[in-house]
Amino acid sequence: MAWVAAGSVMVSDWHRSPESREYFSKILHKKKRRKFGLLEAPVMPPHLKADIVRYKVFLSGKSGVGKTTLAARLAGLDMPNIHYETTGMETCAVFWPVKLRESGRILFFHFHLWDCGENATRRFDHMLPSCKEHADAILFLFSFTDRGSFEDLSSQMSRITEPSDRLVRLVVGTKFDLFMHTDVTERDITRFQEVLGVPVFRVGGDVSGGFGEIAPLLNALAENLWHQDCMHTSTSVPTVPSNSGHIGPEIIV
Amino acid sequence: MLQSQSVQLLCLTASSGVPLFSRGSTKQLPFSIIGSLNGVHMFGTGHDAALSCCETEQGGHVLWRVFHDSLMLIGVSSNANVSELHLRRLLENVWNCMVLVLGLDELANARNVERLKRELRSCYGLIDMLLERGVDDRDQGLMGDLTHCADCILLPQPDLIQDTLESFTRAAESSPNVALRLLCFQLLPGVIACVLCGPRPSLYQVENEQVCRFWSPLAENLRSCLDHAERSSLSPSVSLRRDVLALLLINRESRRSVTSLSTKATPHLSPARRWELLRLFYTFAVTRYFTSEESPSSECPTAELLHEEFSSGFTHLPVHCYLVTDECKCYAVQTPQHQLFLLTDLSVPTFTLRSVATHTLDAVTTATGF
Ligand SMILES: Nc1nc2c(ncn2[C@@H]2O[C@H](COP(=O)(O)OP(=O)(O)O)[C@@H](O)[C@H]2O)c(=O)[nH]1
Ligand SMILES: [Mg+2]
Repeated sequence: MAWVAAGSVMVSDWHRSPESREYFSKILHKKKRRKFGLLEAPVMPPHLKADIVRYKVFLSGKSGVGKTTLAARLAGLDMPNIHYETTGMETCAVFWPVKLRESGRILFFHFHLWDCGENATRRFDHMLPSCKEHADAILFLFSFTDRGSFEDLSSQMSRITEPSDRLVRLVVGTKFDLFMHTDVTERDITRFQEVLGVPVFRVGGDVSGGFGEIAPLLNALAENLWHQDCMHTSTSVPTVPSNSGHIGPEIIV
Repeated sequence: MLQSQSVQLLCLTASSGVPLFSRGSTKQLPFSIIGSLNGVHMFGTGHDAALSCCETEQGGHVLWRVFHDSLMLIGVSSNANVSELHLRRLLENVWNCMVLVLGLDELANARNVERLKRELRSCYGLIDMLLERGVDDRDQGLMGDLTHCADCILLPQPDLIQDTLESFTRAAESSPNVALRLLCFQLLPGVIACVLCGPRPSLYQVENEQVCRFWSPLAENLRSCLDHAERSSLSPSVSLRRDVLALLLINRESRRSVTSLSTKATPHLSPARRWELLRLFYTFAVTRYFTSEESPSSECPTAELLHEEFSSGFTHLPVHCYLVTDECKCYAVQTPQHQLFLLTDLSVPTFTLRSVATHTLDAVTTATGF
């Protein structure tokens, strides 16, 4: 399955454009990322109204690969220094404004990230199904410092998903900042992308430079999810399925 | 109080002394010492003596506790500011947190040591939080880890929130008898709604449907509660004397507590220091005078007997006690229903402390019904 090329559905690097500033300011607080409770969402003034579209994203990968850190990185929370096995299941919300290329429409994507400790999935049978239930996308993680985690990717993907699942699949390589210890080469990545048709993103290091470090991944996630929904609605009966709250804009007041 | 640097916690299997984990203190105890700590406890058990605690001349402590004949926790502290009570509570809290995460059955009937070791890793985050308690500003004013009472805030109009909470827990099919899952929902930064429930409904369902349905209408209300709680956990209808620096009020029946810090700026005593003094005074009072509060727990009846007790030689149970330090004055009162621990400014004459305390207790309980 091919993925959507960066910038084909949404304006790429929109976070750099002056026009986006007011939208991005809504996900900031005192120059840091704003932490949203479940009852909160960015609120725009009436003339700049932007709808919120919600998606559930599951982070998959073995213990220590960097799932919790990735969730914290994307949500702008404090990233753990030491590895704590995540106690059960943790979810967090990421709001991300994008501009659709064709219509010029501006949306807030609400990614609901689901992260689960490996022990918990082993101990409790309901954890993994619960993470996959209603998921719109799965991020498969490997670590650049652990070749085994890279080699396990394709079996991991087939283990937890069916080819027929309507899911956006992206691969994220963590700990890219530890390039001295890199066990996975550029050639490996290029080959992997060709063979499996799944894009690979690299993350690592501090999030010091604002949105630049997380924008490529969040934009790709947004584009692929949006594209997936458009493909689905255009091939199915034009009524919104009752249990898919994520199709079409869902507005939170 | 950087306790994590001065307290070390060890967990071993009770029967064979196999180390399961060690947390805290950056410098780990050598294996030989861990072995000796376990050995000396075993030696006691072999002679029908329960080794509970020992203290060094510098005020360091070692505390042993065996839980359900299955696991042993040992707390080692080299810091004289960490009281025995504190260490004892720490061991109990750590055990409780292990039960919360893994379940009593898993811990009490551990068959496969290697598997248990691996599974205990899921508790490290919580355990380290307990060890680091007090380091983080957000913890200030929370005393539950020490008092084993639920920290409460008293709201001016609690009915709406109470009703919503009840509807929410009903919708989440919460029942204290079926505690398969603990679901925590961060409604706002600083406000979390928790429910214990069985296998259904799914987290997705509760988070996406019920949280919004029940709590959205209360968002503003919750925000103002947050503002209010930041200042005091007492309702605004209570006005404290200006020279009261801090208080802790416990309802002994319901095992609930509230704390409050005076809003008056006291330049020489920072809020953090006042919270710390309150904890120290609480420890002082319940270990020396209000010892009945240290009710012998079913887990470890022997530990209580090893306490130096005020009552030996006295026929009555103390109901008041006080302490004057060079930072503040402290007074505690207990009634069958309540315990109040109070810090006042040094300017309060010592002979009036008693009436300040009893009046404060009356004022707070009458105004709030706590
Ligand atoms: N240098 C570096 N360390 C990372 C990165 N991601 C995770 N880590 C570290 O790897 C360890 C495990 O990460 P964590 O997110 O807890 O793993 P999880 O078990 O998959 O949730 C932690 O000590 C993190 O600090 C990264 O991108 N760069
Ligand atoms: Mg984790």
